[in-house]
Amino acid sequence: MAGTLIGEELTIEGEITSDEEVTVDGTLRGTLTTVDNVSIGPSGVVEADIRAGSLVVAGQVTGNVTASDRIDLQAGGRLIGDVKASRLTIADGASFKGNVDMEL
Amino acid sequence: MAAASVIGRGTLIRGNVSGDAALDVQGRVQGDVTMQGDVSVGDEARIDGKLTGAQVSIAGTVVGNVRGSEAVLVEPGARVVGDLSAPRIGVAEGALVRGNVRTDGEPELEVARRPAAAVRRPMPARAPVAAARPQPVAHKPAVAPVEAVARAPVPKPAPEPPKVEVASVSEPHLEAPKPVENKPAAPAPVVPVLNRNIRGKKKKAHRS
Repeated sequence: MAGTLIGEELTIEGEITSDEEVTVDGTLRGTLTTVDNVSIGPSGVVEADIRAGSLVVAGQVTGNVTASDRIDLQAGGRLIGDVKASRLTIADGASFKGNVDMEL
Repeated sequence: MAAASVIGRGTLIRGNVSGDAALDVQGRVQGDVTMQGDVSVGDEARIDGKLTGAQVSIAGTVVGNVRGSEAVLVEPGARVVGDLSAPRIGVAEGALVRGNVRTDGEPELEVARRPAAAVRRPMPARAPVAAARPQPVAHKPAVAPVEAVARAPVPKPAPEPPKVEVASVSEPHLEAPKPVENKPAAPAPVVPVLNRNIRGKKKKAHRS
C-alpha cells in the first residue's frame, strides 16, 4: 500500500508534509499537508489543521480543514473546526461544529 | 511483512514520532523517532534525529544516535552519523558509519594510558644533562626564556636572569617532572646553544 500510514499506536507531534496519500489511525498533533487524499480512521485523533486534496473523516479532528476537492465527514466522525472545500458531505451520525465555506 | 506504520517516500515529518509498534520509514523525519517495536529505515529514507527501537535496521541515512533495545543492523549502502548502541550490533560491508559503536554489557576497556605515562618519565632524566646548556642560552634572548623553562632544574642562573621576563626563572625551583609540563611552549632543540662558558657553567650546575 503506497502512501503513509500512521498506525493506531503511533503518535506524531509535528508537521507532516506529503505528496501522497496519508491515512491516520493514530494521533497527530501539528499540521498535515498533502496533495493527495487524507483519511482519518475511526481511531484517529488529530489536533491539526489539515490541507489535502480530499479528506475523509471517520475519527476525531480538531482543527481547520481545507480540501481542494471534497470533504466527507462519516458517521462516527467528529470535526471541530472550519471547513473549506468545494464539495462536502456530512453523514447522519457525524458530529460537526464549525464554519463551512464552499467557495473555493 | 507490513509494519504497523509506514512513513511513505513522499512524506516529510518535522517533529517527533513515537509509538508502541513497528515503523517503516521510507520518507524523511526531522526529529526523534522513538518506537517500542522494530524500526526499519528504507534506502531512500533519512532521519535527522535520535532513533530508538527494538530491532533497528538501517538501509538509508540516519544523522543522530541510534539505540536498539534488541539490535541495530546497518545494511550495505546505509550511512549513519551518530552513536550506535544495542546488545547486538551489525554493520554490513559497504555501510558508512561515523560515531561510537557500543554493544551493551561490555566493561570499560582501559588501555593506552600507561604508554603515555611511560613516555613522560625519560623526559626529566634528560633535563639535568641539558641543564648545562640552557645557561649560555640566557645570552640569547630569543631562545633563552623558553629554554630556561624547559630545562628548569639546573638554571639557577641567578646571574643570568636579566631575562626576568622569564617568569619561568622562578619555576626552576620545582625540579624534575614539572618543568617538563611547562615545556609545551618550548620549541625544544638544545643544539644551537653550545657556546661559550659552557664549561664554567657546568661546574655551577653540578653544585646545584
